[in-house]
Amino acid sequence: MTRNMITPTHLIRFFALLLIALPFASIYAQEDLTADQILEILTETMNPEQSQGLMKMTILTSSGQERTFEYETFSKGQGEKSLMKYLKPQRVKGQTILMLNDANDIWTYFPRTKRIRKLATHAKKQKVEGSDFSYEDMGASNTFIEEYDAMRLKDEKKEGRQCYKLELTRHPDSDAGYSRIILWVDKEQYVPLVIDYYHDDDHQLQEKQLICSNIQLIDEIYTPMECTMYNKLDNTHTSMEIVEITYAVDLPDDLFTEMGMQR
Amino acid sequence: MKIITYAIALSMLAASIANAQTADIFGYFEPEYTGIYHDDSYYQFLYNKLRVDLKSTAVKNTEFGADVIFLLYYGKTDWNVLDFLPEDITSTVPPEMRPLYEFTYQDTFYLDNAYARFSLNRFAITGGKQQISLGTGYFANPTDVFNAKDALDPTYEQPGHHGLRMDYLLGSRLSLMALFSPIEMDWETSGKLLRAKLGIGHFDFGAMGIEMPYTLTDFYTFGVSEQTRRSIGGDIVGELLGLGVWAEGLYTFLEEDTNDFYEFLVGTDYTFESGLYTMLEYHHNSQAKSDHENYDLNDWMRFLTGETKTISSDQIYGLITYPLTDLLLLGGSVVFSVSDYSAAIVPMIQYSLFENIELLLMANIYTGEEGTAYSSTLGDGFLLRASVYY
Repeated sequence: MTRNMITPTHLIRFFALLLIALPFASIYAQEDLTADQILEILTETMNPEQSQGLMKMTILTSSGQERTFEYETFSKGQGEKSLMKYLKPQRVKGQTILMLNDANDIWTYFPRTKRIRKLATHAKKQKVEGSDFSYEDMGASNTFIEEYDAMRLKDEKKEGRQCYKLELTRHPDSDAGYSRIILWVDKEQYVPLVIDYYHDDDHQLQEKQLICSNIQLIDEIYTPMECTMYNKLDNTHTSMEIVEITYAVDLPDDLFTEMGMQR
Repeated sequence: MKIITYAIALSMLAASIANAQTADIFGYFEPEYTGIYHDDSYYQFLYNKLRVDLKSTAVKNTEFGADVIFLLYYGKTDWNVLDFLPEDITSTVPPEMRPLYEFTYQDTFYLDNAYARFSLNRFAITGGKQQISLGTGYFANPTDVFNAKDALDPTYEQPGHHGLRMDYLLGSRLSLMALFSPIEMDWETSGKLLRAKLGIGHFDFGAMGIEMPYTLTDFYTFGVSEQTRRSIGGDIVGELLGLGVWAEGLYTFLEEDTNDFYEFLVGTDYTFESGLYTMLEYHHNSQAKSDHENYDLNDWMRFLTGETKTISSDQIYGLITYPLTDLLLLGGSVVFSVSDYSAAIVPMIQYSLFENIELLLMANIYTGEEGTAYSSTLGDGFLLRASVYY
């Protein structure tokens, strides 16, 4: 009877064992994650409910010249709605891009002519202001889940971090801009560190590579503060730096309208 | 309304000075050189344009905006419209009346826009001189009763118009717009416009009713007649079979004339993977003529002064652009008059020299017979424009 009694020593040992065992259990659980589960967590991490930020985009053109843009960005509904308003340079100041339905509906506003133009979805694959990011790269939040089949490959170390490696293959009936995508997702933070994009018509031809770095915890969300898109075909690259960002905002729905574009 | 415009400009200036940190001064400087080959002679025409914009948000929920344009002209600034028209038309003009068709580009500066915009959640009201852009077309906008586009350079900015505009957002993609464009503050003769816009799926639909005063000039006698035009119209933009598609049209009822008329435009575009952009539009104006042999002096003059939008009734517009590099855009457009088989070909090169400096080289080549809408006798030419933004 005495031998079966739970003493304080037993409790201490139990919790000590638990503390040691939990991380292993956690790792074991992570090892069991399927490609779809990883993609879901990644999509949630990268698409918070709402966000407001100030971005700086620097394009290195094929002729070696630099072009720098600054814009405000707003998003709502886990990236389903987004709005970009250019602040610099003066040439494009006030130009606004509104993307709804994961960039399936795009409007652009030109303040100099006070004209709003709706772009058809074929424009989704085009460069935004001559950068190496397409409208689809910037505005489509759910594309990885909805337009691709995901397969988990052998984990790899990338950018000095342990990563899940996923291969996404485009659905046969999808019109997404890339035939195949390979992702390296940080195992702890669920942030993509490297993304290889393959050409629309040739799944062996790498078109672009995105490298994300300087990951910071902002409003409880891991955020890559710098991402650079390398265009392997044009030999250009565009870096995107987050100057300011917050996820603790309550943006009005009417911001994501034609009236909101002109505000 | 002009008094209101100037009051807005002054109050904006005062607010901007008082709150210098909320006032924004920007604009552009634009020198342009135009070379024209006409009647075996070469003419040069140049201008320097400076646009100074001022925008202030010193007062909560309110935006004050204004811009002033300075224009200085050089080169051949004196022209006579009759020099460009077919002989069978100019021969009807008595010699003593020829000077009436002369015009001179004179150095000028003017208040292009001056408005105050108050917005609160789903409601916005804008008063003063402001830009008004209507319609979904690129080359022409039948529903835009305020502006006439230049077929060779259709995206160039339009001047401001006096008006009081109200926008109300009824839903995320449902909005109403009402516009009052006063003429001597008389409700009867002033312009009124009501427009509803609805978005469904990949499409946006617009419907409108317009009542606008209109001035019609008889260019034989230079007499002017006023009329009120009532129009109904609509526009649509969306996507069909992977192509961007749009259309707009306006039907105008004339008060005393039985000759109601209508105008419509349909268009489509597609961007290829390579970045090659292609666009095609068809434009019909029932008020214009389908046989170029019937064009008279009034047709030409009303077209050249912007009183009517086209001289021939049916036109096709094609545009193609290709980004050769990140900074260099090649392209060209063609306006083809289906009515008289004439065409204007407009090749174009646009280069981003620096972050805030753009260069544009554009030519115009007319191919039609004498008397047609795009007759070679109108003279070929080119322009080189630099836009320096600050």
